[in-house]
Amino acid sequence: MNDATLIRKNLFRKRLRAILLMVSILIAFLIFGVLGALQNAFTMGSGTAAQERLVTVNRINFTVALPYAYWGRIEQVEGVRNAAPASWFGGYYQEPQNFVQSFAVDPATYLEAYPTEIVLPPEERAAFLEGRTCALVGRALANQYDWSTGDRIPLNSNIWQNTDGSQTWELDICGVFDDTEGTYPTNYLMLHYEYFNESLAFGRDSFHWITINTEDPALNDQVSGEIDALFANSSAETSTTTEAAFNEAFMEQFGNIGLILTWVIGAAFATILMIVGTTMVMAVNERTREIAVLKTLGFTAPRIFRMVLWESLLLSFLGGLIGLGLATLAATAASSALAGFLPSFGLSLTNIVTALALMAALGLVTGILPAYNAMQVRISEALGKI
Amino acid sequence: MLKQTIAVTLLNLRSIPQRWGMSLATVLSIALVVGVLLGFMAMASGFRATVDGAGADDVAVMLRGGAMAEMNSVVERNDVRLLEVAPGIAADESGEPIISAELFVVVDGIKRTSQTRANLALRGVGLSGPELRPQFSLVEGRMFEPGTAELVVGESVLREFDGFALGETIRLGSNEWTVVGVFSTGGSVFDSEIWADLGVIQNLYDRGSSVQTVRARLTSVEALEALQEYVENEPRLNLEVLSERAYFARSAGGTTNLIMFLGWPLAFAMAIGALAGAWNAMYASVDARTRELATLRAIGFGGFPAFVAAMAEALVLAFAGGLIGAVATFLLFDGVSASTLGSGFTQVVFAFAVTPDAVISGVILALIVGFLGGFVPALRAARIPLLAVHSD
Repeated sequence: MNDATLIRKNLFRKRLRAILLMVSILIAFLIFGVLGALQNAFTMGSGTAAQERLVTVNRINFTVALPYAYWGRIEQVEGVRNAAPASWFGGYYQEPQNFVQSFAVDPATYLEAYPTEIVLPPEERAAFLEGRTCALVGRALANQYDWSTGDRIPLNSNIWQNTDGSQTWELDICGVFDDTEGTYPTNYLMLHYEYFNESLAFGRDSFHWITINTEDPALNDQVSGEIDALFANSSAETSTTTEAAFNEAFMEQFGNIGLILTWVIGAAFATILMIVGTTMVMAVNERTREIAVLKTLGFTAPRIFRMVLWESLLLSFLGGLIGLGLATLAATAASSALAGFLPSFGLSLTNIVTALALMAALGLVTGILPAYNAMQVRISEALGKI
Repeated sequence: MLKQTIAVTLLNLRSIPQRWGMSLATVLSIALVVGVLLGFMAMASGFRATVDGAGADDVAVMLRGGAMAEMNSVVERNDVRLLEVAPGIAADESGEPIISAELFVVVDGIKRTSQTRANLALRGVGLSGPELRPQFSLVEGRMFEPGTAELVVGESVLREFDGFALGETIRLGSNEWTVVGVFSTGGSVFDSEIWADLGVIQNLYDRGSSVQTVRARLTSVEALEALQEYVENEPRLNLEVLSERAYFARSAGGTTNLIMFLGWPLAFAMAIGALAGAWNAMYASVDARTRELATLRAIGFGGFPAFVAAMAEALVLAFAGGLIGAVATFLLFDGVSASTLGSGFTQVVFAFAVTPDAVISGVILALIVGFLGGFVPALRAARIPLLAVHSD
């Protein structure tokens, strides 16, 4: 019998108790994983690429339009490599409840703005650029409504009116785009700005935002300052920030989601820390006499210390890894159900590394006191008390 | 039997301090479970109370068909004229219909907590605007003068956003506005809005004579149907007519459901974790008293008192946990102001509300955890063999 066997036998000597502890640890890590995945979905779009793009919106608010002519003027600003205007379409499919996130964009500049994020077969890209009534649909959205290339769909707008009196634009789906490994949302649709604009009953020749790629990210501050100065004191002043800052501010509007999630995860871990901690102390106390026997047999104090610590680490990792595994399964299941609403709901590498660190920390914190107690056991006292 | 039960139960409860470590861990873990549940419920009910609370049955809200939210709606001046003569709308003393055409623009405010820009509703109203909100009152200052760039701001805006104090000048886009008053509508969703003169906003935002919503006071709750029928049969109108209560209920639904959708599963998951804790604690408690219980059996006590005593201990611990969780949540969160993006795509400021109903659900959840956690250990206590007197 080696130390490992002894540790395992000790942990499961009261099988029910060990299983209960594992379940509570499992739950904490399940919560950690699922909420981590949720937070990822919310903070998406503030990655490094987003730091390098700029977004210009109306200074009043991003829902207020900017004149069409601004596009040309922004393109002239020194340091601007590409400027892509877009408008909210406010789409829904068949019923107002079937919300379809959709933008009217200038196709060539928009695809140019997201060269690595939007992944699209060359022939579909060409078809989209060519066809006036074409729409490009993200994979998640296409799956949600079971759309595929070649379909013709009527898309309603809850904002705009068509000159024919309806609120419907007929669109041909010319392509379905993917992203590179969950780094970019694919839960939206884009249509040609020209096609949209020419049949607008009101609000023609305006757009809501413009995405800008600069020649060098180092120029960003200078470019955004210059753009905003260009339109200062006009009837439509602008506000230009990095795309990441813009996305962050938008998410912040829902409230401090990060803080709420931190509180919940904190509560879950405080719970298991108390439960596991006290149970481990108790479990080792019950074994005082056995430990004394081990010491009599020549086990050194540090060896006993290590054995108890390994026991709590084993417990922590067993529960934690199963919990993390379940969280991954849950996130995978949820991500297909929530694809249209919250894209890329999944665990990141950072989440997993953090979880492993937490398992180690939990094992050490709950093990250190009982391990110390075990080390301090005095043979004469322990075997003397009957 | 009853005497025995009471005696053993008291014995049990009095000995809780001897096992304070496990007991305290159980109480606190249950308190945390209840705290998480109540925190989410307080958020949901606070939000619902704000958005839903203001809805009157005898006020009709009219939006463009399919618009769903005020922001997307457009109602032309001609439509408003047709509505002024619609049936079912109440008239004031001079015989004019009580109707308010309103424009709804989204502007940026700076949130105090995060210092980031957030959407605020800027509502253009006429003089009849306040008339359709019975709880409207000016808390400070005065109403705006029609035709000027003056604003009145809701109490909640003042609380959650920077730069809206009375007398301050605010720049929204390229226009300067002065805050001349602060109003309250009794904690309803309108308290999260900024109001200004309809005509001025139409001008500045290039809206011509169009508005976005029309609100009307109905002669009675039943008059809504007459108005709906009129709008439906009038080919020149493409409007959706619904009572203000129905409109607000629709707006509150999504967010409240989302919060509860998150809150309950989390609380349940945590409850299972706490259940394991309670179970452990009760096992420890029964184990520690094996000899004691066996002795009681030996001198003629039944198994039932031992069962009841162990259950009572579990339930007392759970109840204490539930109560601590509820009180802590109440002290920490009740009345805390927060804001989120409502369905109107603008910020809704609300206060967390820990309601008695929520506290009851929390305590019930705690007791369920205590009951399930205590049941098996209690059975064990009842079945301790007499020979255990000799156990070590």
